[in-house]
Amino acid sequence: MNKHLSKIALVSMFALFLANCGVNNVVIEGRFPTPNIRKMPVYVAVLYDQTLRDFSYLEYTETGSEEFNIQSGASHVELFNSITPAMFEQVIFVDTLEEAQIAGVDAIFAPAIEEFQLALPAKTKLDVYEVWIKYNMRLLTAQGDSIADWVLTSYGKTPTETFQTVEGAINDAAVVALRDLASSFSLSFSDVPEVRDWLDQQ
Amino acid sequence: MNPNLIFKEGRFKILLLMALSFVVSCTSTTVDEFRQGETGISGDETVVVLGRRQASDYETRSEFIECVGDKMARGDNALNIIPEQEFIDAMFPWFEPRTAPLRTQDLAKLMSEDVVADKMGEFGIRYIVWVDGFTETSGRTGSISCTVGPGGAGCFGFGTWEDDSNFDARIWDVGSFTNVGTINTDASGQSYLPALVIPIPLIARVEANACSRLADQLKGFVNGS
Repeated sequence: MNKHLSKIALVSMFALFLANCGVNNVVIEGRFPTPNIRKMPVYVAVLYDQTLRDFSYLEYTETGSEEFNIQSGASHVELFNSITPAMFEQVIFVDTLEEAQIAGVDAIFAPAIEEFQLALPAKTKLDVYEVWIKYNMRLLTAQGDSIADWVLTSYGKTPTETFQTVEGAINDAAVVALRDLASSFSLSFSDVPEVRDWLDQQ
Repeated sequence: MNPNLIFKEGRFKILLLMALSFVVSCTSTTVDEFRQGETGISGDETVVVLGRRQASDYETRSEFIECVGDKMARGDNALNIIPEQEFIDAMFPWFEPRTAPLRTQDLAKLMSEDVVADKMGEFGIRYIVWVDGFTETSGRTGSISCTVGPGGAGCFGFGTWEDDSNFDARIWDVGSFTNVGTINTDASGQSYLPALVIPIPLIARVEANACSRLADQLKGFVNGS
């Protein structure tokens, strides 16, 4: 009986090894400075849904097997946590719309990732790793009605280097893309026509 | 055989290889300077060297920018250099690849933002040096094969390649919002990798030479000499 159990355990472990050996996990980590911009005189609640918090992207090989699992949810949360207090006079981070309503905010900001793309030098034949991310930025009233809904894209690249791992290069390219998002979001926020109209009313 | 003779022969071979590496891995560097305005800097003013990263197929490596900055901050007529990353982080989000000023008129517009002007003032920036370029490796030829056996291991073969570095540096005067000059550095060199039991890399220090020559020229330019 014991022999049979250890056989099963061994086969399970081998199967687990085979299932995991193909995917390289990359957890995006980086530093995001606070923007040097003028604050807008509004009270905003920031709401991250679970999809954004857990966001990960799977890159496949040309033969269709999983190659990289890029987890960037936590770094997106960290980035928005860093930029929103520099953009708005008062900011609160909430888990539900109700929380925002109770707080009496002027608006709720709810970002979402729509698309994530990765370009590897082995496939593009360029000497750079590239990351491209498409976002859907949503600004809602405290009651949950839409004020503005716009698309923002960000791009980051990093050159291939002799002593850098592929995982490290992907991380660097993603961090550049996140910084690109932070810069374009913070500088273009008040240029979105619906946002501009809403700001004028405040 | 006399062991001393073997030792002497070995030492002779090493010396020969060192001499060979000196001869074969040399680099040729050309520096062109184009001055458009008067320059000069006082003791309390600083310079920041930044890499251009707008091109789609390459980007100026931060290691090269760091090398140029370090060399400008040392030796005779050393300048006060602000490290690139420190400056970009402090100025965030105004000097990111997508938002950085491409022309001096853009810099003038950027300086109308109080937060930008204040930060520039805190750093005491007098000149911004924009460096744009990369090192390309071409003409890779030859092959080396290595084997491991019960009697030992060894490699045999020959490889060679050429490196070509081309960097442009544009110097902006933050006081007058003008481009006061451009310096171009072009360096190239052939590297060799012969392998006779052990591989002996004879590497041409192309990018290092480009960095050194560009930094010297920039230092002289900014000081007005």
